Amino acid sequence: MHNTTIEKSTLGQRLAALSLAALSTVLATATLAADRAREPAEVYRQVCAHCHNLDKAVGPQITMPFPEAAWEARGDYIHTTVREGRAAMPSLRNAKISDTELEGLIDALLRGELADTAAGKE
Amino acid sequence: MSTTQRILPKGVSAASFDAALAKFREILGTDNVFVENEQLAPYTKIMMAGNDADYIPSAALLPTEADQVQAIVAVCNQYKVPIWTISTGKNLGYGSAAPGETGQVILDMHRMNRILDVDPEVCTALIEPGVTYQQLYDYIKEKGYKLWLDPPAPSAIAGPVGNTLDRGVGYTPYGEHFMFQCGMEVVLANGEMVRTGMGGIEKSSSWQVFKWGYGPYIDGLFTQSNYGIVTKMGLWLMPEPPAYRPFLIQYQDPADIEEIVDVLRPLRISQIIPNAVVIVHTLWDAGTHVTRKKYYSGTDSIPREAIERIKEGEGIGEWNVYAALYGTPEQIEVNWKIVEQAFGASGKAKIMYGDEAEQRGGSFDYRAALMKGDMNLQEFGLYNWRGGGGSMWFAPVSQAKGSETKDQTDLAQQILDKYGFDYVAEYIVGWRDMHHVIDLLYNREDSEETQRAHDCFAELIDEFAKRGYGLYRTNTEFMEQVAGTFGEPLRNVHTTLKNALDPNGILSPGKSGIRQ
Repeated sequence: MHNTTIEKSTLGQRLAALSLAALSTVLATATLAADRAREPAEVYRQVCAHCHNLDKAVGPQITMPFPEAAWEARGDYIHTTVREGRAAMPSLRNAKISDTELEGLIDALLRGELADTAAGKE
Repeated sequence: MSTTQRILPKGVSAASFDAALAKFREILGTDNVFVENEQLAPYTKIMMAGNDADYIPSAALLPTEADQVQAIVAVCNQYKVPIWTISTGKNLGYGSAAPGETGQVILDMHRMNRILDVDPEVCTALIEPGVTYQQLYDYIKEKGYKLWLDPPAPSAIAGPVGNTLDRGVGYTPYGEHFMFQCGMEVVLANGEMVRTGMGGIEKSSSWQVFKWGYGPYIDGLFTQSNYGIVTKMGLWLMPEPPAYRPFLIQYQDPADIEEIVDVLRPLRISQIIPNAVVIVHTLWDAGTHVTRKKYYSGTDSIPREAIERIKEGEGIGEWNVYAALYGTPEQIEVNWKIVEQAFGASGKAKIMYGDEAEQRGGSFDYRAALMKGDMNLQEFGLYNWRGGGGSMWFAPVSQAKGSETKDQTDLAQQILDKYGFDYVAEYIVGWRDMHHVIDLLYNREDSEETQRAHDCFAELIDEFAKRGYGLYRTNTEFMEQVAGTFGEPLRNVHTTLKNALDPNGILSPGKSGIRQ
């Protein structure tokens, strides 16, 4: 493995900050080149469904509704996982799913609005 | 953030970098210049066995227009800021969206995502780097065109430009992507824009149909390289055939790989079987939908007895050949008889299609989807085989000869076994060549295992090179080592070109081992 000349303390702080920063739910305005933010179902179909649909099972089921009391924690978890990736899950950056789209997607997932889509019922 | 906490491009002072960032903001707007940690986090995830600390960007730039790319390059030259260009950033296991080395600025082309033209008569497309296969697939469906794409396994979330420029492959008859590329628009390091092939002729109608243009053909210089930034690319699309028959041939003995390749070779060269056939080993076939722990819990290389249990339990072969016939129903019937006779001669093969193949188990459904250009990410199931998010594609090239295939398989299994990893592999058959693709899967959350995977990959490169086998592509951690296996004379040419085209070394330093 090759090494860089960055100081260890700097790298540690950057890596730690990267992890913590993604927990933040501060969302900026969408800046995709597309002239509109996609609906949550469209984002799910184009990006998520290929692994997370029930008949694919490459990734875990993510469309079951969550109790409202757990929305904030679950929302932060999804946000972190999307932006940083997790094991087999790739990171998905702003240019692929804008902040506005991700906010809408998380909301739809928490409410269980995409459950039928994931089950192939729509 | 204090100045001392910042990650800077190599050799660039904080003041110079600030000045460059200010100019980038003038070009792109503040919202399209990322410097904050939460913005840069997605650009740091890697699957290869490198140190996370070696792959952290200092910033990311998100242009939407080619003239913005020209302006960015001018600033980079002024301040000697190195940029690492990505398109959809889904070259998973090869470097993903991370920079080639810490401190480089990511030039993220994903927002340049316009489909500029799809011509259903000559079956061509002209697209920008950020277009995904899913986006192009949806567009073609929406228009009602009878055209097929040729996606690689990450299909939906990857894109034709990035995959073609890294000389990736797919599974239809158009599987060798660079072969079916036609015409580029490229921003050079000096800021000039050049159109290759027929694109230099103003108002040319043949930019996407005639590859060679006039004079030296230069498109290849912009693949697996750092000589320019491709802002548009043409490609050929396959007309949907009247009929399509995907099929599966299973063999049960490890030594059968020799027979498979020798039977297959004349069928491929003569185009009886026209697509990029795959010969899939048990563990790859199972790994797309089964986890390792179902059959084996040891941390060493999975033993033969477990492989036999997998074959029995999952209904798959030691070698599983996925191929397809295309054309009219009559053509397919004729060619099917040839295939049956060729593979049936020894009595070892189980040949099947339709319901029989679908019910056999394994990966027939997703293979059938990929061989007709449909979107499918089932292959990502491999990442669950061992778990932990570690993956590196070791991909040496071989001749399509059985003896050579056996030699490569034996060598790979020997080295993987030494380091405790599994032979999760397939051969992708070109016309006369094969890509022997091995997914070195490991637990990236275990530092000892990650180091072991790193050492294993390095040994694979060296030992294969000693026997005359080179890689067709590799990840950013090993680009320098792989470049070394191709010899100094070739490297000197690459360096000479780099110095001529990019004297300040601002474009993707280290790509394919190429630097000033």
